[in-house]
Order: sequence, then C-alpha cells, then structure tokens
Amino acid sequence: MLYRNAIGAASLALVLCVPFASARAFDDSKYPDFNGQWRRPPGIANQFDISKPQGPAQQVPLTPEYQKIFEAGLADQKAGGQGNDPTYICIPDGMPRVMNVIFPMEIIVTPNTTYMLIEYLTQQRRIYTDGRDWPKDFEPSFTGYSIGKWTEPDATGRFQTLEIETRLLKGPRTYDPSGAPLHPDNQSVVTERIYLDKANPNLLHDDITTVDHALTRPWTVNKRYVRVPNPIWVESSCPEGNPHVRIDGQNYMMSADGHLMPAKKGQTPPDLRYFNQPQK
Amino acid sequence: MANRTNRTPIGAIALLAALLLPALLRPDVPALAFDQSKYPDLKGQWLRVGSPRWDDDHAPLTPEYQAIYQANLKDMATGGQGIDPTYTCLSPGMPRIMNVYDPMEVVVTPKTTHILIQHIHDGRRIFTDGRDWPKDEDPTFAGYSIGKWIDNKSDGHFDLLEVETRNLKGPRVYDSTGLPFHEDNETVIKERIYLDKADKNVLHDDITVTDHALTRPFTANKKYSRAPEAQPVWLEAQCADGNHHVQIGKENYYVSETGYLMPVKKDQAPPDLRFFKNK
Repeated sequence: MLYRNAIGAASLALVLCVPFASARAFDDSKYPDFNGQWRRPPGIANQFDISKPQGPAQQVPLTPEYQKIFEAGLADQKAGGQGNDPTYICIPDGMPRVMNVIFPMEIIVTPNTTYMLIEYLTQQRRIYTDGRDWPKDFEPSFTGYSIGKWTEPDATGRFQTLEIETRLLKGPRTYDPSGAPLHPDNQSVVTERIYLDKANPNLLHDDITTVDHALTRPWTVNKRYVRVPNPIWVESSCPEGNPHVRIDGQNYMMSADGHLMPAKKGQTPPDLRYFNQPQK
Repeated sequence: MANRTNRTPIGAIALLAALLLPALLRPDVPALAFDQSKYPDLKGQWLRVGSPRWDDDHAPLTPEYQAIYQANLKDMATGGQGIDPTYTCLSPGMPRIMNVYDPMEVVVTPKTTHILIQHIHDGRRIFTDGRDWPKDEDPTFAGYSIGKWIDNKSDGHFDLLEVETRNLKGPRVYDSTGLPFHEDNETVIKERIYLDKADKNVLHDDITVTDHALTRPFTANKKYSRAPEAQPVWLEAQCADGNHHVQIGKENYYVSETGYLMPVKKDQAPPDLRFFKNK
C-alpha cells in the first residue's frame, strides 16, 4: 500500500511536470541572448578591421601579387572607376565582408540553425549547429556554407560563444569598398567566435580569422556590434535607383534624366554593333 | 499506520517537487520563454505547388488597369518587359513574394515569424508581439506585416496565423505577366497561413488583396509542399549575379555573353550617347 501510494505520488508529480518537459523543446536559456537588432558601433564605416581607417591603412597582409592588384584597384577608383569592388552592381558582399554589417543585422538562434539576417543585398546566413558535416556536392555561394558549434558554457550551463567555420565560397569578393581582394580560387576559410561582451551584454563581438591564398598569413580582426532597443527594420533594395551600369566589363553611370554617361574622363561609349537603328 | 499511509504520498510529492522545482524556477533558466509546442510545426523547406503565377482566374481589374495590363502584355509580346519591374532585380514585393520563386523557410519565434526566401529580396518579418501599425516608417516592397496566432480548436495549440500587410511601395505586379497593382500603393493584404488538416506537409496561404486597381477583393489560395529532406539544400540566388538585363532611361537592353549591348526588340534604337566625347 505504501509502495503503491509512493508510485502514484511519483506518477502524479511526473504528470504535473510533463507540460514543463514539452515546453523545453527549445530551451533558449542554454544560449546567450543574441536577440534584437545589431548595428556597427558609432563612427565605424564600411571597413573590415574596425580599429583602422578604410583603404591602405587596413594593412591587409596581402601577398605581393595581390597587393599589386589592390593598388591597381585603388588607382582605378581614383580615376572614377570601381576598382576591384564588385558590389556596385548589387553583387553581394559575401563572407567575410557581409559581417561589416552595412545595414542592421538580426540574429535568430534556434536549436539546429542560427540565422543572421542582414538587409543589405538580401544576405541571409544560415549557421548549422546540428552537428552536420560539410556537404559533398554543394554549389559555392557568396555567403558560403557555415557550420557552427556552441561552446564555453558558464557555471549555469549556458553557452557563451558560437564558433563558426565557413567554406564553399564564391567570388568575386573583397573585404571592403576599397577593394582589398580575396583570392579568385575562392578557397577562403573563415572562422569566427561570436560572443557577448562580459561587461556589456548589449555589445556583441565577432573575432574573424580569414585564411586565404591572397594572404601571407591568417588575418584576424575583432568586429563589434551594438544592440538597438526598439528597432526599425529599413528595407534596402540595391537595384532601386542604382546609377551604375556595367557593359562589356566597363562601369558607366546613369544621369538623373536616364542618359548613359562615362564614369571616367575620356571613357569610350559601349560598342553598339548590334543596333541597326540610329541613336535616339 | 493510516496516518503514515496518507503522509507518504504527500511526502513523495513534496520530495519530487523539491527536486524538480528549483530547476524549473531558476531565474537563469527561463525555459518557458518560448514554448514551441504551442505553435504549428512549420519547420523545413517549403516549395511552391504549381507555377509561380498568382492565380488562374481572371483578376477583377478596373477598366483603367485592365488597359494598362493589356498594353503591358503587348509590350512583352514584342520583346519588352512590360511593367514587370523585377528584371532589374527589384524586389517582387507583397503579395508576389508569396509566389515563392525559390524555396521558403518559416522561422517562428515568440514575437516575430520570419519568412525567408532567397530569390531577390523576399524576406519578410511578421510581427506577432501585439504591436500597432507604425506611424512614421518608410513604405517597403515587402510592406509592414502584423500577425496574430489563432487557436481555433481552443486546445492550447495555435493552428492559424492571420497576417495583415500594409505600408507598401511600388512598382509591384502579381506575377511575371505584369498584372498590376494601383500606383497609389494603398494595397492591403490579408493572409491566413495554416497546415493542411489531412497532410501536415502541405502549407496553405489564403491571400486576399484589396487594391484600388481592383473592382473587388481578390483571393488566391497558395499551396506549398514540405521538402522531405532532413537537411534541405538552400541555394543562394542573387539576381544581380549574371543578370543580362540593363535598364537605360526607360528602355530595357540586353548585354550579350560577350559583353555587347543588344536590343531586346526589333529595330530598337540604341541609347543616347550625348554625354560621351570619345564616340
């Protein structure tokens, strides 16, 4: 009798606890609070290493060959061109430049995937945290394929850091608008450590290390983002009102009244060999 | 003995409660913050059923917009793009986004349901946190969407997401045929999103559009099927990457594989090169 009562009581207690168990389907208390809108810190532009100004001052450890390519791109930009930066015609930043976070970023943590949504050029990152391996037949992409792992649990068992590795990238990609290039073999490997600042939970860190054949050594930068309370999500549509046009590898501009214009002094117009009508 | 019998179950309950409650009530363990079991299972990859057309029925356009639509079809028949703005990679906007050109993922969180579609610029946030319409936000192609989860069976589980979308901008059309919306962009879109009762791998979206280019509200039922793969492949779609269409002024041209500008219509005039000195 005693035994039966004890079992009954235990059963009752378990029944009472079942709703709690199902509610734990996603125990978000195990993960750091990455919710909300994240922006670049005030005063930071579009540079990759936020501790240095944009351009040559970034001191990207490029190989001599890619340093020359970088410098040629800068000279082209000085003459009115776009240099090595492919994004002027709305090609996405790709990894790791996407983490410059031109427009605000949202991070959504779910049990199997962490999403990073960045409005600029529809850059959606999926970071798979379900323990999967690298895919065998995956088409390369600008944002690449990212596998993550939650690490560094604190005393309460809550993870503090999301470690990510990104591969399977495609190009062209540069680190920022100055056009410091990544190697066209697209064999870049990008590793990240994302964590909240210990002193300020509204400050997010991303330590990014890039390994790339255009570099002489792995290049690590620390990026920071600040959390915005009550965010507004603004839509950014690159093609809307974009005055840049690329024809035959050349960049041209569109005037406000819709006429094609040279982007550089003395630039020749596009070849019109396929037209049999006189110009308008 | 009788007293002991009564005390023992109470003692057992107290003991179990003492063991379990601290874990459940710890302030650093807000395990009940998001009870996924209350929401329908919308996980996975959703693929559209059928072609990416809006609806098979004829749209109830006003005579003015029917004329615009017909002129657009005529332009398309001669090689133009009509009034479909997406050839230059403009977002299709709502409700065309829900044609689901590329696979869709639905991510449900306590305050927002995210619709992720790679295609051009088709991501949506549906706010379910009880907020009101914003007063001073810029209109967008995807619009501003407020949703409400409904528990039709009163069983503690939501089975329907009702969504209303306003604050849109244009130009927008329903699909690649160029079926137009009114240029005032005062479109209001109501959706009812729910899993099929008989097949949980079919998702419905009943979409009703109210727009000044219509003579009455226009409803379509969209269906999506869940991909069977446990780890579906999400391909990146970047419209601008390899897009051969170029808009110069109001004219559409084509850039050939070898990089030359080409007409898209017979006898189309080339662009005006008045700003070039080195012709």
